[in-house]
Amino acid sequence: MNVVFTVIALASSAVLLIFAPDRLLPALLSGAEDSVKMALTLFCIYAVWMGLSKLAELSRLTRGASKLLMPVSEKFFRCDGEEINENISMNLSCNLLGLGGAATPYAVKAINGMQKTGNAFGQKLLFIINATSIQLIPTTVIALRAGAGSVKASDIVLPSLICTAISTALAVILYIAAEKIGGAKGRKKPWRM
Amino acid sequence: MAYVIPVIFIVVIAFAAVKKVNIYDGFCAGIKEAAKFTMSLLPCLAAIFMMCALFEESGLADGLCRLLSPVFGFLGIPPELTKLVLIKPFSGSGSLAYLNEIIKNYGADSYIARCACVCYGSSETVFYISAVYFAGLKVRRLALPIAIALFATFVSTVVACLICKIM
Repeated sequence: MNVVFTVIALASSAVLLIFAPDRLLPALLSGAEDSVKMALTLFCIYAVWMGLSKLAELSRLTRGASKLLMPVSEKFFRCDGEEINENISMNLSCNLLGLGGAATPYAVKAINGMQKTGNAFGQKLLFIINATSIQLIPTTVIALRAGAGSVKASDIVLPSLICTAISTALAVILYIAAEKIGGAKGRKKPWRM
Repeated sequence: MAYVIPVIFIVVIAFAAVKKVNIYDGFCAGIKEAAKFTMSLLPCLAAIFMMCALFEESGLADGLCRLLSPVFGFLGIPPELTKLVLIKPFSGSGSLAYLNEIIKNYGADSYIARCACVCYGSSETVFYISAVYFAGLKVRRLALPIAIALFATFVSTVVACLICKIM
């Protein structure tokens, strides 16, 4: 992220310096303004889902639900600790249901938890799965198409599902393979520091 | 699908009520976490959005699109989608606005719009997620997972354009 940021920031400002020096500051300010709007939108989504998930947590509903996925996440993410597994399970379930807003806080909690136990492998695997999308039904897109007068708004469901499956499977395989190669080159236990 | 969210809402609250959880207090406690969480995201968001604004304003974004269009075309991605494919990893709202524009311009059932919908629906905002997930943490060697996620997304985009041609 640091490299990407530096390259884009420097290149863009250099271009602006030459062609339109007076547009640099307004662009930065409008970007910052957009980020505040975005944060407000996100807060609304998180307020709904984190409020609700707190209730699920207090009533131990999440614990029951995640018991089902627990063996999978334990093996797959090489994770110990009930709370982390619970967060991972909830993140995956929310993603599958297409509740991206609800999924994010769980992922962040799980990643923070894994930071404490030093499970870098699990952190990055969870990131990769989330970053390649595992949504079963793209509700937003269907709504958008229906709104634009599509005859069969849902005929993109199957292609989306296939593409989502391909990208996630490919990324997970590539990552595990890369981690194996990297692990063989010196680092004895790549996932436990 | 419209029933999913109301059902979840009712089930969770009813279950909590049966278990004698203080619903209002619990809900507020969750929102308090949400407020803290949003505030912790704001600095990263501001930085990313500023970078994107600069990139757009400088004309580099358009330049990159023009440069990459032929390459994408060679792989079967229509040139109309180049910008969508490039924006998606950074900004969900930005790419959604652009998707909307494509649907309006080409018609919801056109090949271009269907391709765009599948690409949008089957990919995620990689850079944005990486910034949010790892905000404030010192995690080394993040470039590799990001590169893998981007590559996998790109492959699925190529596949999406192919599938939409057949189906």
